[in-house]
Amino acid sequence: MLRRIASHLYWTARNLERAEWRARLVDVNYHLLVETAPRGTEPWAPLLAIFGERELFAARYATADEDSVLNFFVLDLENPNSIRNCITTARNNAQSLRPYISSELWIDLNSLYLDAQAWTPRLFISPGVFAFFSELKDSFYRISGILQTTIPRDPAYDFMQIGMMLERAEDVARMLDVKYHFLLPRLEDVGGPIDLLQWAAVLRSASALEAYRKLHGNAIEVDKVVGILVFDPSFPRSARFSLDQLEVSLGRIAAERSESSQSQSQSRAQFPALQELSAALKSDRSAHALKSGLHQFLIHIQDACAAISDEVFGRYLRTD
Amino acid sequence: MAAIVLETGSAPPVWAAYKSGTGAFDEMLDLAGSARSGCQPTAKALFAMPLDWFAEISERAQHMFRRMGVTFNVYGGSDGTERIFPFDPIPRVIDADTWATLEAGLVQRVRALNMFVGDVYGEGNILADGIVPRDLVLGCPQFRRAAAGIKPPLGNFITVAGIDLVRGADGRFYVLEDNVRTPSGVSYVIENRVVMTRLMPDLMRSCRVRSVERYPADLLHCLIEQAPGGKSNPTIALLTPGPFNSAFFEHVFLSQQMGIELVEGQDLVCADHKLYMKTVHGLRQVDVLYRRIDDDFADPLVFRSDSMLGVAGLTAVLRAGNAAIANGLGTGIADDKAIYAFTPAMIRYYLGEEPILPIVETYLLRDREVREEVLASLERYVIKPTGASGGYGVVIGPKASEDELAHVRELIVADPCAFIAQPVIQLSMHPTIVSAGSGSGAHTQIAPRHVDFRPFVLLGAKPRVLAGGLTRVALKEGSLIVNSSQGGGSKDTWVLEA
Repeated sequence: MLRRIASHLYWTARNLERAEWRARLVDVNYHLLVETAPRGTEPWAPLLAIFGERELFAARYATADEDSVLNFFVLDLENPNSIRNCITTARNNAQSLRPYISSELWIDLNSLYLDAQAWTPRLFISPGVFAFFSELKDSFYRISGILQTTIPRDPAYDFMQIGMMLERAEDVARMLDVKYHFLLPRLEDVGGPIDLLQWAAVLRSASALEAYRKLHGNAIEVDKVVGILVFDPSFPRSARFSLDQLEVSLGRIAAERSESSQSQSQSRAQFPALQELSAALKSDRSAHALKSGLHQFLIHIQDACAAISDEVFGRYLRTD
Repeated sequence: MAAIVLETGSAPPVWAAYKSGTGAFDEMLDLAGSARSGCQPTAKALFAMPLDWFAEISERAQHMFRRMGVTFNVYGGSDGTERIFPFDPIPRVIDADTWATLEAGLVQRVRALNMFVGDVYGEGNILADGIVPRDLVLGCPQFRRAAAGIKPPLGNFITVAGIDLVRGADGRFYVLEDNVRTPSGVSYVIENRVVMTRLMPDLMRSCRVRSVERYPADLLHCLIEQAPGGKSNPTIALLTPGPFNSAFFEHVFLSQQMGIELVEGQDLVCADHKLYMKTVHGLRQVDVLYRRIDDDFADPLVFRSDSMLGVAGLTAVLRAGNAAIANGLGTGIADDKAIYAFTPAMIRYYLGEEPILPIVETYLLRDREVREEVLASLERYVIKPTGASGGYGVVIGPKASEDELAHVRELIVADPCAFIAQPVIQLSMHPTIVSAGSGSGAHTQIAPRHVDFRPFVLLGAKPRVLAGGLTRVALKEGSLIVNSSQGGGSKDTWVLEA
C-alpha cells in the first residue's frame, strides 16, 4: 500500500464520516428547535461553537439565523467543512482510489457528489428540510453498507477504518458537548421535561435512543447517556467502540508487516496518545468523568484524537 | 444519394431523410441504400426503431457515463475541467473478413515500428543503409539521445500502440498516424461496450460481437512478460501524471482492471540503480513501469529538470536493466509525422514483406521542390505539424480561410522541417444521432458524420490485438476533426465473430 494512497483512503473515509455527523447534528438541532421554544436570539449559535467555526461564520454572515446557518453547514463552498465540501473532498480523494475500492462504492460516492453539486437553499424550505436530511442520512448508510460489504479486510479497508473511527470518536465527543454549549440547563430544569427531551435528541442524533432504551429502559440519565456514547464497547457509535476498531485496524496493518507479537507490542508503543486514550475509555467510569467535569473530559477526547491522527500520519501516511 | 431501402420496401420515417454524405464512404449503407456486409442485422433493428427511442438511448447512455465517472479532463476549458466523452449509440460494425486483414496489417506495422525504434537506439542499420535519412531521425524532436544503448527485455520498446486508421472514399482502410508513446482511449472502448451491452443486449447477442474485456488482462500479460530476468511474480505499477491529466480516468481504470498500483512521481524513488515505491511499510521494488507520462517528464535528471511528475534516476535504472518501462523512452521517433512517410519502407526492410495497410501519401516539406509544389496550391492539402498530436495545429486546406492559409504558409517557410502535407482524405461517414435545429425547434435526427478508428496492438512475448477499437466521430456537421479535445464523440465498434 502506497503512503499517498493510504492517506487518500484515510481522508475519504474521514470526510464522509464528518459529513454524516454534521448532517446528524444539524438535523437534530433543527428538530429540537421545532419541538422546544428556543431560548435566546441565536438558537443556532451553539452548533457553531461545537465545531469551533464561530469566527469563520461571523466573517461571512450577519446573524446566525436558520437560513444562514443551514447554508453555512450544508452548502457553503467557503466553509471547508460544509457537508457539500466534505463530500467533494471525499470524492476527489476517492478519484485516486478507484483501483483500491469497489466500483460500487465509487459510483455511489460519485452520485452523491453529483447530487450535492445541484443542492440549493430551496432544499431548506419547510417541510422539505426533513426529507432532505433523511435522504442524506440514507445516502451515508448506503455508502457505509457498500463499503462494509464490498471491500476485503485489507490495508485499504483498514486505512479507511482508521480515518472513519478517529472522526467518529472525535465527533461523538463533540456532539455530547452540545450539553455544555447549548443545553446547559438552569438548575431547576435538570431532570425536567426539557432536559430529558434534549438528552433524547442527543441520543437520537447518534441513532442511539433505541439502543439506550434496550440497555437502560425508559429513564434517561446523564451518566448513562455518557456511558453509552463514550464508554460502551458494544454500541457502534461510541468513542470506545471506535477506538477498539481503530486498534484492530492498526494491529492488522502492523501484522501485515510482521507476525511476531513482540514487534506488535513494539508498534503499539509508537502510538502513545492512542494507548493513553484507549486506557482511559476502558477503565474510567462515566460517573468519574462527570464528576471531574464532562466538558473537560470531552475536550480531552477531541485533543487526544488529534494527537492520534498525528501519530498515524507520522508512522504510515506522510510521504515526504 | 440513394435513400434507405428496407426489405419491406418503403423507408421508415426516421431514416427517410437520411442521405449518405457526398463523396465519402458510408460505413453502414451502400450507394443503393442497402446495409453493407455484416451490418444487416444492426441496420434492420435500427430501422425498426422510432425516433423517440434514439433520443432516449442517447440520454440513458450519457446518464450511465456520468454516474460511472467515465470522464476526461479538458485543458484550457474554463467551465470545470471534467467532461464525459460524448457517445453515439449507433454501433460501427466491422465484419470478420475485413477485421482479419486489418489485424494482420496492424501486427505487421507495429512489429516493424518496434524494430525501427530498437534499431535507431541500437545498431542504426536502417540509417546506415540509407532507408531512412539519418538527419531526419537525429533532428526529430522526439529523438532521445538518452535512450541510446538501453536494451529492454524482449527487445520491446513499444508495448502499446494505438494506430489511427481512416477509411477513404474507396472503402479501404489507410493508416493516418501511429501512436506509440502513451496512446490513450482504450478505456472508452471497454466502457462503451459496458454501456452498449445494457442498451442493446438482444441486438448484440444476435450479431455475435467479439468481446473487448480481455484487454487489461492481455496488457498485464505483456507487462509481466517483460520483467527483467523473467522474474515470475514481478511488481508492476502504472505511472500517472495525476488527477489533472486528461486521461486520468483511463489510468485509474487500467490499474484497477489489472490490479496493479497506480503511482505518481512522488510515490517513486530510485536508489542503487533500482526503482522503488514508497509503501506504508517502507520501500518496495518496482520491476515494470507502465508509464503514462511523456518522456520529457519521466526523469528530471535526464529530461526536463523542472518536472515534478517523474522520478529522478529512472533512466539509469533502465540502463542498468533493473526495471522495464512501457512504452520505452524515445519511442516517439516512430510516430513522428515525417518518419511516417518511411513506414512502408521500414516494413519491407525489417520484415521483407509488402505492407498490408497503405499509408496516406505524404510530402516532406523540407524538400525544396516538394515544398514549392505544395505551397503553390496549399488549399488542396492537409498540413500537419510533425511534433504535435491530438489534432492540434492541423490545417485542412479546402476548409481553411485565407488568413489561416497565409499563417501556415509563413510557418512552413520559417521551419519547413516541422510540417508535412497530405492530400485531403475524405473520411468515411456513419449514421449518427444528432440534434438538429435549436431552441423549441430542436429535434433528434439521424445524419452521416465522419468517423475514424483507433485499434490497439500490444507487444509482449507475442503480439495481441484488441478485437475492436475506438471509433471516434466528428459530431459537428462536415467536420473532419474527431479528437475528443475538439468536440469529437465516440461509438462502440463491433468486430464480428468469424
